[in-house]
Amino acid sequence: MPVDDVCVVIRSDADLVAARSMGRSLAERYGFGTTDVTMIATAISELARNILKYAHEGEIVLETVERDSRGGVSVVARDHGPGIADVGLAMQDGFSTADSLGLGLPGTRRLMDEFEIVSSPGSGTVITAIKWLR
Amino acid sequence: MAVTRPRVDADALADAIGLGPEELAMRKGFLEFGDDDVHRLHAMYELTHEHVDVVIEAFYEHLMSFPETAAFFRDPRLLEHVKGRQKEYFIRLTQGDYEQEYVTDRLRLGSIHERIGLPVRSFLGMYAFYLRQIASLLLEEHPGEPGRAFEAFHSLTKLLFFDIGLGVDIYIYQRERTIALQQEAIRELSTPVLTLRDRLLVLPIIGILDTSRAQKLTEGLLRSIRESRAKVVILDVTGVPAVDSAVANHLLQTVEASRLMGAQVIVTGLSSSVAQSLVTLGVDLTKLNAVGDLQGGIEVANEIMGYRIVAIDDGTPEVVDARSDPQAG
Amino acid sequence: MPVPILKQGDCLIASIQSALTDADLLDLRDELAERVGRYRSKGVIIDVTVLDVLDSFASRTLRMMAEMIRLRGAETVIVGIQPEVAFSMVQLGLSLDGVTTVLDLEEGLAHLDRSRRARVAHAGG
Repeated sequence: MPVDDVCVVIRSDADLVAARSMGRSLAERYGFGTTDVTMIATAISELARNILKYAHEGEIVLETVERDSRGGVSVVARDHGPGIADVGLAMQDGFSTADSLGLGLPGTRRLMDEFEIVSSPGSGTVITAIKWLR
Repeated sequence: MAVTRPRVDADALADAIGLGPEELAMRKGFLEFGDDDVHRLHAMYELTHEHVDVVIEAFYEHLMSFPETAAFFRDPRLLEHVKGRQKEYFIRLTQGDYEQEYVTDRLRLGSIHERIGLPVRSFLGMYAFYLRQIASLLLEEHPGEPGRAFEAFHSLTKLLFFDIGLGVDIYIYQRERTIALQQEAIRELSTPVLTLRDRLLVLPIIGILDTSRAQKLTEGLLRSIRESRAKVVILDVTGVPAVDSAVANHLLQTVEASRLMGAQVIVTGLSSSVAQSLVTLGVDLTKLNAVGDLQGGIEVANEIMGYRIVAIDDGTPEVVDARSDPQAG
Repeated sequence: MPVPILKQGDCLIASIQSALTDADLLDLRDELAERVGRYRSKGVIIDVTVLDVLDSFASRTLRMMAEMIRLRGAETVIVGIQPEVAFSMVQLGLSLDGVTTVLDLEEGLAHLDRSRRARVAHAGG
């Protein structure tokens, strides 16, 4: 089923709403169930929020992907902000809560199936998260 | 449990069992099966070709004289089919290079026997029969030269042991596939959410909980909470044999998500070993309202919901809403 | 878009109608705090049935709302968290600890009703 890929610029909190909504729409059209759709939209919200908070500007790219005859949706959160000094630390403690004021990355990772961060101080951040159809 | 096992074709079987050229070479080395043996076997070709019909007929007559094995070959078409294949097989014992093609052929025949359910002892008995028949033929063929007959017999024995190895491999492989399919079927069993009473749900969890199953269970439970407007959920884990940190977290998440929807969760059936595991895993047990068994869980649920069970005059117990009943203490 | 807030006796009911931006949520927080003070309400119901995502910011803000409302003498009940949203929240590690959450508006009103009767009984006792 051909589904359009989408890019949402993140500059204000209205963009957060737009990114969630686009993500929901893409995931629904691609055939994800309601719980998975909500998980994807929530992950997008968290990632976009981090962009706003730390880099003030960036983009969320939503694409459909295929690998080994499995289909899924990929969320790429990209910014040219300060970057994460210690990615390992940011991803630590698999069960920490996102309630704390921080990046909340471990929680966001739990919402998705695959999660990869490329980031270093001064080089910005690219986070790629993929959820596969069950 | 009955599961349907899809057929695997013989060429794929060799791959699946790991019977590639290296493995075959290793097995032959172990049996000390070499070129001399190949020559001796080829030298028996005339002999086997001459006697194949008689030997195979005698073979199946022997088989059919035992009710236990006769039962497997009641279908005359199946019997003709396997006789045909056995004749080919018998001749091939003394022909060819005993490499990949030979193996595939053996696997194909072995698969048929396994699929119809022929017990291992029966197919081993079949090999014993072959050896006896061929032993006598060899002695007749080399009168006065028992040494030569013995050498030829010895080569044949090595080859038959090689074949028995293949047959056993098929049996083991197919058994393991059946077990794996059954395990998968058990994992897929979705436990239903049961409505015990108005706004009181029970969810019995049985078996191994992996992440995917845990997610399905929780989703189903949360939807049931909404549909039945449940105030209390009893999660019974009597059927969960062991918990690791992942399962413990799934449990806590289920409890927390239910709370967000306004339902309290009571966990029943935690065995002392599972409770111990949870403590060792550092799980915050204060977040879990755990009660020993289902009966106890229902009593706690009654208290939470403000119900009491009283016996009415004819001895039938009745559930009473303690809040609305003026006589409720 | 402001969230409609209904007054029902000594309760306020905030019924969220559509997706909210961060700013909208903060406005709601301030608006509720102000009205609780103005009407001396005893209970506030925040209906989130329509929200399809409750992320870390929403969770923090709701907790903050409950705290602010409590400081002004009223109780907060969050109603209508949907199954998919509840699931995603716990995956993310959000707990809304310390905030009363119930299934729907009906339950929310029943809860505030019980609280009211307890207050009356306590005062009358």
